[in-house]
Amino acid sequence: MDLPIFVAPLIILLIIWYLTFSATRLDRLHQRVETSWANLDAILQRRASLALELTHFPETDPAGNLLLTSAAHHARAADISVRSEAESSLTAALLLLRQESWLVEKYPDLFEELDQITERLKVGISLHVEGVSAARARRSKLIYRIFRLAGKAPLPVRYAFEDDSLVEVQR
Amino acid sequence: MKIGLISPYAWDVPGGVQAHIRDLAYHYLDQGHEISVLAPASDENSIVENFVVSAGRPVAIPYNGAVARVLFGPVAASRVRQWVAGGDFDVLHLHEPAIPSLSLLACSIAEGPLVGTFHAAAPRQKVTFAIAPFLEPVIEKLRARIAVSEIARETLRIHLDTDAVVIPNGISADFYQRAEANPAWSRELTIGFIGRFSEPRKGLNILLEALPKIALVLPDVRLLIAGPGDGMEAMESVNPALRSRIRFLGRIDDDAKASFLKSVSVYVAPNTGGESFGIILTEAMASGVPIVASNIPAFSQLLEDGKYGLLFENENASDLAEKLIRLLKDKELARGYSELGIQYAKRFDWTQVGDEIMNVYLHARGEDEKVTLLSEARPWSRLFTRGEEE
Repeated sequence: MDLPIFVAPLIILLIIWYLTFSATRLDRLHQRVETSWANLDAILQRRASLALELTHFPETDPAGNLLLTSAAHHARAADISVRSEAESSLTAALLLLRQESWLVEKYPDLFEELDQITERLKVGISLHVEGVSAARARRSKLIYRIFRLAGKAPLPVRYAFEDDSLVEVQR
Repeated sequence: MKIGLISPYAWDVPGGVQAHIRDLAYHYLDQGHEISVLAPASDENSIVENFVVSAGRPVAIPYNGAVARVLFGPVAASRVRQWVAGGDFDVLHLHEPAIPSLSLLACSIAEGPLVGTFHAAAPRQKVTFAIAPFLEPVIEKLRARIAVSEIARETLRIHLDTDAVVIPNGISADFYQRAEANPAWSRELTIGFIGRFSEPRKGLNILLEALPKIALVLPDVRLLIAGPGDGMEAMESVNPALRSRIRFLGRIDDDAKASFLKSVSVYVAPNTGGESFGIILTEAMASGVPIVASNIPAFSQLLEDGKYGLLFENENASDLAEKLIRLLKDKELARGYSELGIQYAKRFDWTQVGDEIMNVYLHARGEDEKVTLLSEARPWSRLFTRGEEE
């Protein structure tokens, strides 16, 4: 039978197609994570600069101001290895400030902006976390590992601050 | 921002998804965004909105206990392709991308900032598991997924193994709150019901079964029913002595709906299932009418387990009768629900919901990114053009 002669190249073509198809899927997931991180990063930066504005109140005590200023500076300057910790402490410091209702009433605009940023942060974090888990789940599949379909793309990671800011935001 | 919206269902047939898209489109137009909507249409001339583009005539298929008018096939695909290519969109917002219609087509041929909203809630279905492997790579391209309720989110998780952000459907809370009552409809002890009552899942038969029990205690009770369908046929099961208490209004428009809700003393939603959100309940709350609803998951969730309305046991006519009697008799209870409802409904106003959806758009989009057609990026075409790209 010469059937296998026709079938063999067909199967090889099919495998090649499937591999490129799979690689494209993963590539797209990586792209999704990159976009969502870039957007999340931009909002975190905005939050840090807003936090610095919030330290200019004459009414707040110096200790609180110091805490917030240093947290905001840390969050802006921190490199990626300590970034998560810096964002967590900024979240905590902002949450403390947000509880001062008399201050909120006195500066409604700034706090409204803070609430908006917090809202956007919430969406940004859940999209980023979702993208990261989707990409990681795909990368861990056997075929992706055998054929190294991820190439040189770094493994997407989620950060610890994402979990605790989500929890505190939803409270 | 230039936003493209796609409706999977026929634009000229009333439905929750179409209404949602229309209201969202108007909301963003008011904010100064550019909007284009692509939808199937049985009759192109019936489209009044100038931002809606017809993709052709839909076909009717049974879906989730109702008839869905959807559109697919090569001609539709080329229409979608043209619309996407010519649209130069910043964001493409696809509604119900998991059902075989325009949104799924668009999702498979476009690339970039794609956002999908999942409206439906369906129980586990074997057929979905059969098509999931084909659907998954397409749905995966969505940069962000929105589910309209926790139930819709759960459906998505079970069927397609993917998570979503929950953003509820929107209403114009003001419109319902400011509406005027219609003297012809408003009287004491009037129960209101709106919906396509000929569909069994809307639960009219349970309400009709409860009616004699209510009439025993409250002889003056009246039932107002609005929505498309044959009223005479629905009446057949009703005791002739009670028929005078029931009035069918036929299909009513949005203005009439708002004054209907303002007029009746109680709104009842006896749906037996297939609901994912329950937009009518938020509209009823916005107008300040107290609600009795079945305890199906969507309603329990929306009314927070009875905090914002009385829940009765699904498909239990005696329980429904008891709850309706309680609410009709107890003015204090009714007023409490009414006041709570008006406050709660503000959460569903477009000003709030529109901002939340816009947040998702902003997150789905990279800097200066546009929606493009996929054809240039297909693996095999890339294989051959790799040299040129570099």
